[in-house]
Amino acid sequence: MPDIQALVASLSNGNAAARAEAAESLCRAGVDAASAAVPLVQACRDDDQVREWAVAALEELGPPPPAAIGDLVRLAGDDHALVAYWATTLLGRSGEAAAAATATLAASLEAGLNGSHDPAVSERAAWALGKIGPAAAAAKPALERAAAASDPRLARLAREAIAAIGG
Amino acid sequence: MAALVPFRRSSPLPVRLVALCLIAFAPRLALAQTAAYAGPVPKPAGAILVASFNIQVFGESKMAKPQVVEVLTRAVRQFDIVAIQEVRAKSDDIVPAFVRAVNADGSRYHYVIGPRQGRTVSKEQYAFVYDTTRIEIDPSSVGVVPDPQNTLHRPPMHARFRTRINPAEMAFTFWLVDIHTDPDEVPQELDALTGVFQAMQAARPDEDDVILLGDLNAGPPQFKSFQRIPGVTWAVAGVTTNTRRTKTYDNLVFARPATSEYLGGWGVLDLQATFGLPLEHALEVSDHNPVWAAFYPAEVRGAGLPPMAGATAPVRR
Repeated sequence: MPDIQALVASLSNGNAAARAEAAESLCRAGVDAASAAVPLVQACRDDDQVREWAVAALEELGPPPPAAIGDLVRLAGDDHALVAYWATTLLGRSGEAAAAATATLAASLEAGLNGSHDPAVSERAAWALGKIGPAAAAAKPALERAAAASDPRLARLAREAIAAIGG
Repeated sequence: MAALVPFRRSSPLPVRLVALCLIAFAPRLALAQTAAYAGPVPKPAGAILVASFNIQVFGESKMAKPQVVEVLTRAVRQFDIVAIQEVRAKSDDIVPAFVRAVNADGSRYHYVIGPRQGRTVSKEQYAFVYDTTRIEIDPSSVGVVPDPQNTLHRPPMHARFRTRINPAEMAFTFWLVDIHTDPDEVPQELDALTGVFQAMQAARPDEDDVILLGDLNAGPPQFKSFQRIPGVTWAVAGVTTNTRRTKTYDNLVFARPATSEYLGGWGVLDLQATFGLPLEHALEVSDHNPVWAAFYPAEVRGAGLPPMAGATAPVRR
């Protein structure tokens, strides 16, 4: 099994090729790299070679460890769209354990509705709120506005989230 | 990074090469492992082999590793058509360079590639790589499935192919629909793909053969929505398709009796077993193994497979 912590350290290497190689190795580690969830999300702001392997690693990572949720909530509000997208995705994969992200995700949704946010991030926020389920009830007003949006994907995801939250 | 171990020159047949109904395949696959540099891989006369291969992050870094490229080229040469997923590169020369490497042994493959797709800055492309000595493409048929509801992260790429047999009127023609689903929205995407499949069936009155293939991020137990397609079936079941041998994610989906050309032969080209690679080196190639199915090269009308009366085997030109 690869040394995940050593690879995480290499993601901060000054040499881009070394960072890309570390991201690739983390990708090959699959779910064993779950403890690297936050550094991999942060690597999404790196150059193309690092970013592509980081994204591939995140796709295969599964749910992040519970200890990562606080950092992921912070990163879900990041100005970098890809960072916010993947932090939001990992929060959704955490399900109810990510209830603390509700306000941040609702804010992403609202930002998408007023056009000040990357649509992909807002859509993922709607999806993630649905995955959190009843514990995300505080986001229902935002989801109801999103359900009436002209964007068919955002509206569908919001409707699905409302159904998942119930009540 | 450690170098790949040398290829075994006489490894056993791939352990996960399953449900092989055509005995003619076995010597072909064995030959492919033992005579890699002896010219183009001979293919069976009575079948075409259609494959799907997710080549994880297929881009500059992968093409910079000769050992990886060699495994990829040897894998692709086993098949008549390979639907590729996950081309991820800024450069437009990844697939052309790869096809040049495939053809370095005298093979005559060509390719078509789709546009970059994805909802974020991280984009992917689909590609079809096919053996021009046995397969023709209708250039006007290449495109991306419309997705006005934005349900699919990477809407599938389609193209229509035809086997090269004589007379051409007897050739097996078919749509291939290449897909890589979003692992976080699998149920919704499979539901949408059911509609895509049915739309492709209706796309041309003269074409009833549709083969949806790719990385579905799901296995047969999750194919409930596909049951809305009359006669639907799929090639891969009961085995794993990822390199770690833990998941069944890749498949070929089609409908019967429309695609009566399906011969019942299918398999997973296990990268570790076929090329004698330890897991960590196989993962350098991809986290997915190629999956494939065998089809009769002439159009089948009515019930059952006729002998290829009046038709010759796929020809090399």
